[in-house]
Formats: sequence, C-alpha cells, structure tokens
Amino acid sequence: MTKRSHHAEIATGKGDPQCFSNTTSAPSKFKVGDKVRIKELPDIFYTRTQVYTRGAVGEVAVVTHESPAPEDESWDNTDHSEWFYIVRFRQKDLWPEYPDCYANDTLQTEFSERWLEAVK
Amino acid sequence: MSDHDHSHGHRPPAPMVEEISDFEILEIAVRELAIEKGLFSADDHRRFTEFAESIGPLPAARLVARAWLDPEFKKRALEDGVKASLEVGVNWLDPTGFGTPSDYTDLRVLEDTPTVKHVVVCTLCSCYPRPILGHSPEWYRTPNYRRRVVRWPRQVLSEFGLQLPPEIDVRVEDSNQKCRFMVLPMRPAGTEGWTEDQLAEIVTRDCMIGVALPHPDRKVDDKRPVHPAVNPVHH
Repeated sequence: MTKRSHHAEIATGKGDPQCFSNTTSAPSKFKVGDKVRIKELPDIFYTRTQVYTRGAVGEVAVVTHESPAPEDESWDNTDHSEWFYIVRFRQKDLWPEYPDCYANDTLQTEFSERWLEAVK
Repeated sequence: MSDHDHSHGHRPPAPMVEEISDFEILEIAVRELAIEKGLFSADDHRRFTEFAESIGPLPAARLVARAWLDPEFKKRALEDGVKASLEVGVNWLDPTGFGTPSDYTDLRVLEDTPTVKHVVVCTLCSCYPRPILGHSPEWYRTPNYRRRVVRWPRQVLSEFGLQLPPEIDVRVEDSNQKCRFMVLPMRPAGTEGWTEDQLAEIVTRDCMIGVALPHPDRKVDDKRPVHPAVNPVHH
C-alpha cells in the first residue's frame, strides 16, 4: 500500500486544525474586541479572503485556532502557521446600500493574521 | 427444465441504468485506478461511502434540544463544539481518524438570542458542518444563496418565509476557513414540559443553517419550489 500522506500522519487522532496547535512562532497578535482593518494583499494564486472585506474595519469576535494560511496550505506549504480570527463587521460598513433601519446587522468571517492590521 | 413464465414477478436481465454521464465514468476510472495502485482499498472506499451515506441532521437536532434543556450542556456546546458532538454520538475524526475532507474538526455553535439571529453561508464554496448536520441542501450550494445572503440577508430570509423585525439583529456567518458553524436557535413558545425527543423533532436542518425558526407544529423542511429558468442554457 502507498505510504500515508504527511497530513494523515500528523493529524490522525487529533484532527485539523488541532494538528497545528502550538506551531506558531509568536502568540496571537490580536485579541477579542480589537479593532482591525482587512489588508489588501496580492492574492493572484489563491486566497480565502473575500474581496468584499478588503479595506473594511471590524472587531475581533473570536480567536479561533492556529493553522497554515490557506494561501500557503493550498500549495502544500505548511511549514508556518498563523493565528486565525473571526472578525465582525457592521453590514453598513460593507455594503453602501444597507438600510439604516437595520443598523445593528452584522457579518462575521474568518481571517489569518497576515490579513489584519490594527486600527487605533 | 420447465418453461420459465414471468408471472411470479422476476424481470428479465437488463442493464441497471440506461445512460451514464462522463463524470460517473471518470469516477469509476479514477477509483479503480487508485485501488489498482494501492492508494486505498475497495474496502476503504466502501467504508467511506457508508459513512457519507450515514450522516444526517438528527445529531445536531439532539444537540440543540439538549442545550435547550440542560444549561451546563449548552455551555459545553458553546465552548467546544467538537467535544460536545461526542455527547450526541458524533466523532468529528470519523471515519479516517483525522476527519473528512473539507469538514475539518472545529465546530462552532452560534447561539441565537432574543436580539441576534444567526445565518450561516459559505460564499467561497459551500462549507457545511456535515458530520453533525448531514449533507447540505442544494440551495445552500447555489451562487444565488451564497452571493445574496451576505448582502441582502433579510430579503433572502424572507424568501424562506422568515421575516424578522428590526429589533432583532441579523448576523451572517461566512464560513470561509476551517471553522464550521451550526445555529442554536431560540426555543419556541408552546414547548413547555417537552422531552428532549419531542424538542429534537422540531429542530429541522434549515433551523440549524439559520434560515428557519423551530415551531411546535413543524417537523420537516418544506420542499423548495423549483421554477423554470428565466434564461435557460440552450445546448
């Protein structure tokens, strides 16, 4: 039989993203409640950061887990992990026509750390 | 040998299917080649197929019902969805020991409150918490849903028959990474004194995606109407 893949070897019994726990080189840069802006980064090969979030300012809602960023993982470059964050945005800040009567509607989605920058 | 008459119901031998698509042929070819090359065995494939055919929304409905009745369980479910899944019989590591492709192993339970209604989507593809909720409905996978619910959530929800007053905030969860999400809706009125079994019966799949609310009289998701395309593709 074919040798098991590297991923099967490291994740069996743990799961994914659990297999990447404690693999980041630094603690998480952001914490719940931090205001962050989504950066615009080159994404020509692959990304999971939606265009509709680029440049938007939101608040960190959850610090989720460590994992290689999808931009790396999709090419099997799993040497480096990043912390991931669920960031919450006001819908009014994402869509120009979002009605004022629903001012508290929000949308949240997840980003790896490279996509976030602190907002004062 | 006596004459074999067919009055007792046997049909003459005939092909099982009358036509086959290119993709089905491709699947058979790739599967047989993979087995031949030793990437996996036919038994591995059978076990995986059986797993894929065994999943459904019942464990998730039980998780919701138990969370409604047991505040300590609810706390556990909100803190660690994968660990709480074990309590309703779902091991997110099954059947491979490290999870299933595209499902990963980080379930998050989104708790609706009197002022916040959650709805889940994956705009990139159609990521879905399959091990506990089963396969996603076809509409969840369509660009129609994925593109519109993030931007016009209240309009899309009202197309599902769910109109929310302005006092309730709508929170869309776009599951674009490894986390998977299910909604823990509010327990409806009219269910006082119900058992966990009774409560689980009214928590339908659509309630846990977030496009429907549980109701004491409603046990199944209605079939979605199918309309002819306005601009159909002509081959």
